[in-house]
Parts: sequence; structure tokens; C-alpha cells
Amino acid sequence: MAARHRRSRLGGGDRLVADATRHVGARTLVLGLTSVAGTGAALLLPAVLGHTVDLLLARQSGEASRWVVLCALLLCAPAVFDALDGLLTGTTAAGATAWLRNRVLGHVLAVGPRATARFAPGDLVTRLVGNAAYVGTAPGSLASAVASVAAPLGGIAALGLVDPWLAVAFLAGAPALFLLLRAFTRASTDCLIAYQRLQGDLAGRLVEALDGVRTIAAAGTGRREADRILQPLPGLSREGHRMWRVQGRSAAQTAAVVPLLQIVVLAVAGLRLAQGALSVGDVLAASRYAVLAAGIGAIVGRLNALVHARTAAGRLAEILAEPPARYGPRELPAGDGTLRLRGVTAIRGGRTVLDGLDLVVPGGTTVAVVGRSDAGTSALAELAGRLADPDAGVVELDGVPLRDLTRTALRSHIAYAFARPALLGGTIAGTIGLGPHPPAPGTVTAAARAACADTFVRRLPERYDTPCATAPLSGGEAQRLGLARAFARPGSRLIVLDDATSSLDAVTEHRITHTLLTAAGPARTCLVVAHRTTTAARADQVAWLEDGRIRAVGTHAHLCELPGYCAAFADPEGAGPGPSLPPPRRATEADTPGGPHRRQRASRDGGEPPTAWGAEGRQEPEVSGPGPFSPPPRRATTAHAPGGPHRPHQVPRGEGAEG
Amino acid sequence: MDPKPQGEAPSSPSPAREGVRFLWRRRRAVAVLAGWSVAEAAYTFATGYALARALDAGFLAGKPVPGLAWLAGAAVAVLVGAYGTGRTYRGTAALAEPLRDALVRRVVARALHDGDRAAVSRLTHQVEIARDTFAGLVMVARTFVFTAVGALVGLCLLAPVLLVLVLPPLLAGLALFAVTLRPLVGRQEAFLDADEAVAKSLGDVCAGLRDVAAAGAEDPVHADTAALVDAERDAAYALARWSVVRVAALAVAGRLPVVLLLVAAPRLLDHGVSAGALAGALAYLTQSLLPGLQNLMHGLGANGSRLAVVLRRLMAEPPRPAPGLQHAAVPGAPAVALRGVTFAHGPHADPVVDRLHLALPHGSHLAVVGLSGIGKSTLAALVAGMLEPQQGEVSVCGIPARDQGARALRVLIPQEAYVFSGTVGENLRHLRTDPVPDREVLAAAEAVGAGELLDRLGGLAAPLVPAELSAGERQQIALVRAYLSPAPVVLLDEAACHLDPAAEARAERAFAARPGGTLVVIAHRAGSARRAGRVLVMDGARTTVGTHTELLQRSALYRDLMGDGGPRGDAAVSQPSRPLRYADRVDPVAGPGLPGDGGHVIAYGSVRQVQTAGDLPDGGPLRGK
Repeated sequence: MAARHRRSRLGGGDRLVADATRHVGARTLVLGLTSVAGTGAALLLPAVLGHTVDLLLARQSGEASRWVVLCALLLCAPAVFDALDGLLTGTTAAGATAWLRNRVLGHVLAVGPRATARFAPGDLVTRLVGNAAYVGTAPGSLASAVASVAAPLGGIAALGLVDPWLAVAFLAGAPALFLLLRAFTRASTDCLIAYQRLQGDLAGRLVEALDGVRTIAAAGTGRREADRILQPLPGLSREGHRMWRVQGRSAAQTAAVVPLLQIVVLAVAGLRLAQGALSVGDVLAASRYAVLAAGIGAIVGRLNALVHARTAAGRLAEILAEPPARYGPRELPAGDGTLRLRGVTAIRGGRTVLDGLDLVVPGGTTVAVVGRSDAGTSALAELAGRLADPDAGVVELDGVPLRDLTRTALRSHIAYAFARPALLGGTIAGTIGLGPHPPAPGTVTAAARAACADTFVRRLPERYDTPCATAPLSGGEAQRLGLARAFARPGSRLIVLDDATSSLDAVTEHRITHTLLTAAGPARTCLVVAHRTTTAARADQVAWLEDGRIRAVGTHAHLCELPGYCAAFADPEGAGPGPSLPPPRRATEADTPGGPHRRQRASRDGGEPPTAWGAEGRQEPEVSGPGPFSPPPRRATTAHAPGGPHRPHQVPRGEGAEG
Repeated sequence: MDPKPQGEAPSSPSPAREGVRFLWRRRRAVAVLAGWSVAEAAYTFATGYALARALDAGFLAGKPVPGLAWLAGAAVAVLVGAYGTGRTYRGTAALAEPLRDALVRRVVARALHDGDRAAVSRLTHQVEIARDTFAGLVMVARTFVFTAVGALVGLCLLAPVLLVLVLPPLLAGLALFAVTLRPLVGRQEAFLDADEAVAKSLGDVCAGLRDVAAAGAEDPVHADTAALVDAERDAAYALARWSVVRVAALAVAGRLPVVLLLVAAPRLLDHGVSAGALAGALAYLTQSLLPGLQNLMHGLGANGSRLAVVLRRLMAEPPRPAPGLQHAAVPGAPAVALRGVTFAHGPHADPVVDRLHLALPHGSHLAVVGLSGIGKSTLAALVAGMLEPQQGEVSVCGIPARDQGARALRVLIPQEAYVFSGTVGENLRHLRTDPVPDREVLAAAEAVGAGELLDRLGGLAAPLVPAELSAGERQQIALVRAYLSPAPVVLLDEAACHLDPAAEARAERAFAARPGGTLVVIAHRAGSARRAGRVLVMDGARTTVGTHTELLQRSALYRDLMGDGGPRGDAAVSQPSRPLRYADRVDPVAGPGLPGDGGHVIAYGSVRQVQTAGDLPDGGPLRGK
């Protein structure tokens, strides 16, 4: 099984190498030809040169001058081949690498966030940057593989052709070469480990000091701190010197081997010369062929590079084997943005974090999702806007399953904001306007104002044109940019806030939610993952998630009376019955049937969405709890106990429905 | 800040000039390296000369023994040369290791100045690249120089006329290479930059796939990154095209002499050059000079530009502090004074602080409140002398805040408390240069409420491992340290935000009660403002100063921040960007503990009364908690 997997992975890798090679096919072909021609010239030159010298020594000027021309040609041709080789090796690798990166990146984007569930982001980057560059060299390595093997083998053969004894002398001396070359790797590892340990110590001290850099700067104790950080430096230097000494020893070994081999060959050639079996030119040629033949040690390295490239290609092929996200053909019909989850199950890391969950968020309302399990609430937020597909069940927006929607429909009608937004898009304006198309003029600043981000953005060195990479942003400021990004999408019907206000102070959070809820235009449905009581208290309804199911749905004030509810918050002690700040009021509040203080709930029947909510609405008893500032929910949320997706029963208000 | 002496003139980082100075300071090491290189070159010299002599005096004369003896001599030269090669590594280390040390020092000094996290990667990664490429350059350049000298001396000994054939093309080729070196380095730099841009962009995209999908921005993101990938490919093409020039230089310097030698061979042989000398000369040209040139041109092109790029990044020095005019404290001057202070992050940016006037008399207690990110920490940094205002003056006890002399007069404890690996005592005594008796340290710990922590850690002599402390414990250590500092002005920038409200209140009151001490608290919770004699409300570039009661009436923002002023107000004044355990908690102490009823806090009156009035009423209930 494992072997088959490995084989299929390597098969994919080989196909990828073949595709990349085909992409730079013409260049690879020319490169192969020039390298073979170059090697041929290099192998011919010593023999021709030797013969020329013999002719010159024999004073056969007429004959010799023709051979001199041939020598000149054989000397110049490699220069031309070298030039072509340098040019083609560089461009082939660059072209193949760029092609691979674009192809794999396109695929990663098509797979979407699921790609990072399978591969850690750092791993993906390593594959795209390092492995792709390695695979990029494969076409060039393949093209010159023949030549690189031919040169040393040709050298040995040429020695044998000049005189068989020369080849014998070389082959007898060669094993010593291999034995000595091997000594290097063993010796160098242990000082490298010591060196890296000291380097880690130094880096650790620096990290410590960087944590306190403001303290150090204010106290002006920088020089003392530097001395403390640099304490491991002398040790590092000692280990460094030791490493060089070890390297020097092995370099001395390798430096001796090839020339000694060459001298052995020369000695044998000299003896044969004295016997009259060889000429001076032959001796000269033999000396050069011995050097070429010694290149046999490098063949292993060349082949290794190909093996590595093949492994790297396998790692890229693994990414390409992930199926891309599929989108449906349907557009979103007119609707109020009602979100419905039916029997939704999500498995994360082998654990079921959502277990047959049912939840309806009526259009235009705000529902907070609270729960102790971050995995569960985050999974719910992911499913609500199809950043991930449920492992079972269906998520629908205005009656259309999300997976039937086109990508454009899906993304233009659902906006997201996260606790830690990734600030892509280059500049501040770019990251707010991140989307399929550049936003309309004015949208960015309006969205920034709505997210209370305008003030701090205007204080950045280049205001909205400040590159995100250089802008010193706190977590709260980054969150506000993420919120602004969601607000910059006026067409969205559903907005999912995944803990997106967790780093904001209470007053700022209040201002932002107030703006969000009173924004002009059609009311938007909000699904808010909350870990703070104030956030939950501001929502129309709270869905309390426990053990992968909805435990209860109700206002924050009601749920507060249930045992265990407060423990679902990051700030359990503060889980009071309501916020002291005035709650957000919607512009549409007057439209609410029954008035702001009437609590109504929707009835659910046979799993149908609560289109006629309030028709059956009974008046709820006034509940004292959140006080005069409690947010008046205008619509209720219906939750289904997980008895089955088709026979949901209502959750009695104020009581926990055991999940 | 800077490890170098203060008096040294500021130098602009010019790698070339600094490189020459660096080598000059290590001329002994350079000389030793040169000595071993001569030994290494013995082999080069022997390849041609011994071959020539072995042929002429031995094998060609039909006398194998002298021939073999000459070759044995060459073998000895090989062994000597190999030993020399080994020693040249040590010689290179004597240059490369000090370079690494100097770069590490500089990286650390700069990191402590600007707090850039990238310094860790510079320290572990880029410094190593610099060290390796520098060593590579030294090796390549050295090998070429000594190989060339060895070969030329050998040629000269075989027949001086050979130099006439070899030197002109060699020098011409080297000159051609030298001319193309600069543009080549430029192309290499452009390629490295493009490569880094690609890696960074791919890193951002892979880390932000969720955001890309959520925004539906797959196509523009792919297009942007593909543009960078293509730019890198084009940079690589440009670099590859320049390699053609390199090959041309190599052909002129390395291959042309061989052709010239062959063309001139009949004449040379006519004029007394022996057959062995001709063979030896060819051996020098094809087996020593040509490979040496190849290594030089390849090594200089690739390593040199890499080193140039990395050094340029590493050698940017931190700006030096202003010349150390040591002003003395001005008697009668306010503890902290800001006069018309304006600060912005750039010429195009809105000001964070706009024409702010503020004077704090000695012994006063000020709380600064405002929404997160409004500039409270910037204000603290201005008073601490870490930032320079574009307009106006900041002074501490009459001394300009940026002056060296002001350092001893104020201490800033930021939110991210600094503790280092060492003993507990070393950490606590960090801001004192004089020996502090244990008794005083323990009393300080008790005063700010860290006595229990000290016991738990095992006393002053116990080792302290930063990673084992919670954020709150780290803050307690930093608070004790600040309490022990001789500075009269203490700036607490959310310095107790990870403590529970009772512990925070206790620490703040301890600081307020320091004799003659002036306290500025960047408030994290409403309680900090209630405890202070005066409150500064920052709202955009607007600021309002007043007592708690005045501000409750005057400032809508302040009312919001105080959570309607009620004892149950659960709005945190300001929250740091990190997740906090007590994010929304009410301060349970401040309300009931303060004079007056919970709903309407009575101000302490004038700023000066705060230390006496502020401490007493809260003392009782606090201890009980």
C-alpha cells in the first residue's frame, strides 16, 4: 500500500518533470546537443594537441599548421559551447521553475483553504519556492546527463587508447580517490551540531531582548544587553574555527588525490616514452586525459541531483493531486439572506467538531455562536460561507445549497472577517479592497471609516498607500482592516465575523457593530463567532454550541441563566447579563412586528424555513435581565435538536435543549 | 545602543572601504594566509616545470631514473601543496570568523535599537551566508592569484619568451572580465531581489489562502504573484545572458594563449625552447591557468554579488544617539513637560499627537485614557525619549527627553515586560548600577505585590527562566525593577494589564506613594483612571485633561470608556492587541474602595494630594481580596 502510494507519487513527479521539460523543450534539446558537442571537443582536444606537438617537434611545418588550425578550432568551439551552455542552463531552469510555480500556485488557489489543512502553510511555501526551483533544474540536468557521464568515461577510454598501461595505472589508483573523498562528510557533522547549538543560544538571547526592546530603549541599557546577548559569541567563534580546520583537512586530502593520480599516469607514460612506445604528445594527452577521467567522482553528484529533483517533483505532484474546489452553476435568487444549516457534520483532525447540527439564521438578524470549543465555532464559520464543505449535511443561503452556487455568486454575497486577517493586497488600500475586482472609488475609505480604521490609517506614513509589510499594525488594527474588507463588499447578504472583534476595546467594538447594523441598504444577516460576553450580548440571538451540537438558542440574557453557559466565554467572570453600553439599534427597528420589546419567535414546521415568522408568534413574557439596554431581537433563530434533520423540534426559550 | 565608542565619527556603510579597513586591521592573518598559499602554489609550479625536466632530462634522453625522480619531486610538491591547502582553510577562518563576529555584533546592536524581529533571521541565516560567501571569495581569489603566479614563474623559468605570448591575452581577458563584473553584480542583485519578492509573496499567499478564498480574490492574487514569478524568470534570463560575456573573457584569457603558443611553436623550437619546455608550458596553460580562471570568474560573479547584497543589508547601522550633552536637572522645573508637541509617523501622515501642552508637577499622578491605537503609547515613548517630535519640546525635570541625562530620571515599563535568563536578583536590580541590599529588593517586591511570586521563584538567587513565567508574572518582575529604579518619573504603559485588577491597583498605588515620585499610567482599565489625580483623554489628535468627575461631565468618550461611570461598568479602557483573560472585567476594587459611593466617584482634588488621599481608602478592601 505504502509502496504503491510512493510509486504513484513518483509517477506524478515524473510526469511533472516531463511536462516541465516539454515546456522548455527546444532549449533542452539544444542544450543536450551543445553539451554533447562540448564534451566531444574536450575529449578530442588532448589527442589533437598531442599530435600537433609531435608534428611540431618533428618539424613537419606544413602538416603541423593544419593541425594547429584544428587545435584552435577545438579550443574555440568549447568556448562557444560554454557560452551557449551557460545561457541555456540558466534560461531553461528559470523558465521551467516559473512554469512550475505558476502551475502549482494556480492549483493551490483552486484548492483553496483546504490546501492548508492538508499541508502546513510553511510546507506549501517550501514546496513552491525550494522544491520548484530544484525541479526546474531537472530539464537542464537531464540534457547534460549524457555529456557528464561521457566525459570521465571517455577520458578513461582515451587513456586506454593512448596506451593500455595508462588506463591500468589510473584504475588501480582510483579506489584511493573514492575512499578519501568519503572521509569528509563523517568528520564535519559533529562540529556543525555544536556550532548550531551556540547559534541557537545566541538567537534565543536576542529573541528575549527583542521582547523587551522598549524597556531597553527607554532605559538606555542597550550596550549592557548587547554584551549579555553576545556571551556565546567567543564559543561560536571557537567552533567555527574548528569547522574550518576539519574542512581544511579533508580539502587537503582531496587536493592531493587527483594530482597524485595524474603523476602516476605521467610516470607510466614517461616510462613508455623512454621505451619508445609513446611520443611527447602522447604524454601530454595522457596527463590531460587523467584529469578528465578523475571527473568520475562527480558523476555520483550529478546523478544525485537528478534523484533529488525527482523527489522534489514528487512533493509538487502531491499538491497537484489534491482535487480543486468545485463550484455549481446556480446564481442566488432574490432573498433576505437566510442561512440554513441542515444536519451539518464537520470533522477536524479526526475529531467530530460539528455533529449533525441544525441551525437557521433568519435574514437580516445577527446571531452569535458561542462555545468552548474553538474548533467547533470556527468550523461553523467556515461552513457558513463555504470556506470548507461539511463532511455531511447541507448549508443553504436563501434556499440554494452553497455548493450549487457559482464562485462569483458565493463570494459576492458572503463576506468574511477574521480574528487574524492575512493582510494581502500590497498596500492598506489594496488589502481593504481585496476581491475579484478593484473596488469602486470611495468604497475603501468608506469601509475603513465604518470599521473605525480611517483614523489610524491616516496616521500611517503613506496613509492608504502604506505597504502592509512596513505598517506597524497591532492585532486590533489588523482586525479593523479585516472588518473594513468585509464592509467594502456592499452586495453581500451574509457577513460572517469569526471572532473578528476579539482584539478591539469595548467602545470601538460597539461603534463598529453599531455601524454595521445601521448601515444603509438592505439589512445583512450576521453570523458572529464570539468569545466575549459583550459581543454575544449585542446579538439578536445566541446559539450555544456544545459537543458539536446546538445546546440552546436564545438571547444572551436568557442563556446566562443556564448553568455552564458562562464557561463558554474567554471572560467567564465577566459574563454578566448584558452590556452597559447602549446596544446597537437598527434603523429598521420600527418595522419589527410587535415593537421592540415584544419577543417573538418563529415557528418551525417540517424543516421549512420560517418564511411566515411571527404568524404563529405568541407573546413572550417580559424577561428582566439585560435591563433597559438589552438588544431587542426582532426575529428569532430556530435551532434544531439533532433528533434528525427532518423532524426538528423547537428549542424552548430559556431552557437548554440537551444535545 | 551601539557597541562602538561614542566618540567614533558616524560612518556611512560602504562595503568596499570597510572591507579594505577590515583586511588592513588583520594584515597579520592576511600575511599568514599568503604564506600558506605560496606553499600551495608549489604544486602548480611543479606540474609544468617537473614535467618539462622529466621529459628533457629523463624520458626523452632515454634515462628513466632522472625522469621518475623529477616526477617524484612533483609528487612531493603535491603533498606540500595539499598541506598548504589545508592550512589556507585556517587562514581563511582567521578572516571569515572575525567578519561573522563583527556582523553579529552589528545585527544585535541594530536589533536592540529598532526591535525588528527580522534580526533573528539576519543573525542565524544572512550572517552565515555572508560568512560563507566571503570565505568562498577569499579562497577563489587567493587560489587564482597564487596559481597564476606559480604558473607564470614556471613559464619564465622554462623560457622567458613564453611570457610574451601568455601575458597579453591573459591581462586582456581579465580586464574584460573586470569591466563586466559590475553590471554582472547588478544583474545578480536584481535576481536575488526578485527571488526574495517571489518567496515573500508565495509565503503571504499560502498563509492567507482562507482570506483569498473568502474575498473571492483568487484571480487577482494569482495574477499579482505570477507577475512576480515572471519578473524573477526575466531577471534570471538577463543574468544568463551576461554569462556569455564571462565565457568570452575566459576564452581570451585562458584559451587564446594556447593557440598563440601552438602558432609560435616552430619558431620557439628554432630558438632553443626544448620539447619538454613546450609540453610544460601547455600543461601550465591547460591544467592550471584555465581552471583557475574558470573558478575565479564563476566564483566572483556568483559569490561576490551575493556577498554585496547581504552585506549591504547587514551593515545598515543604527542611528547614533545625539551627542551626549549632559544637561543637569533644572530645579523647580515640572517633572514632565510637553510644550506644543506634535508627532506624526511621516510627512504625509496625520499627527498622532497634535500641539499637546502638558505639565506634571513632581509627585503627581496622571492617567492617560483613550481607545486602543489612539496614540497613548506614542505619548509614553515621547516622554521616554524614544521618539523625537516634529515640533515642540518634551522635557523631564527640565532636561530635554532625548538627552542622555534624562535617562536616569525616568523609567518606562511597557506592556510586554522584559525578563531575561539570569537570576531573579539580576532581573530585579537591572536598572541599578549601585549594589542594592537584598532587604531593599524584598521590600520593593512586597510594596508592588510581588512578594509571593518571589517566594515561589525561590528567592533572589534563584535562576529565572523567562519561558516559564506567565505574562502577569513577567509584569510583576518588571514592576519591581521599575520600583527599585532611582528615576523620579515612572511611566507605566499598560504595565499591569496581565495582572488581576486588585494586583494592578496595589502596584499603581505603590508607585504613586514613592516619595517624590511622579507617575504616568497609560490606563488599561477604568480603575486606573479613577485612582489618578488627573486624567488625559486622547481622542484622535484632540486631548482633554481634567479630574475624573470633570471629565465624566465634559467628555462623552470618557463616559463611554468608563462604562457609564457605574461601579459595574465593564468597558475596558483599552485593550492590548493580545487576547486577555480579563478583557471585559469590571474593576472590583476601585468602585467600592474609593471614597464616595460606587456610582459617583469623587475626584481626589488637586494632583498633589493624590499620594496621600489615593492610598488610604483603597488599602483596606484591597488586602482582603
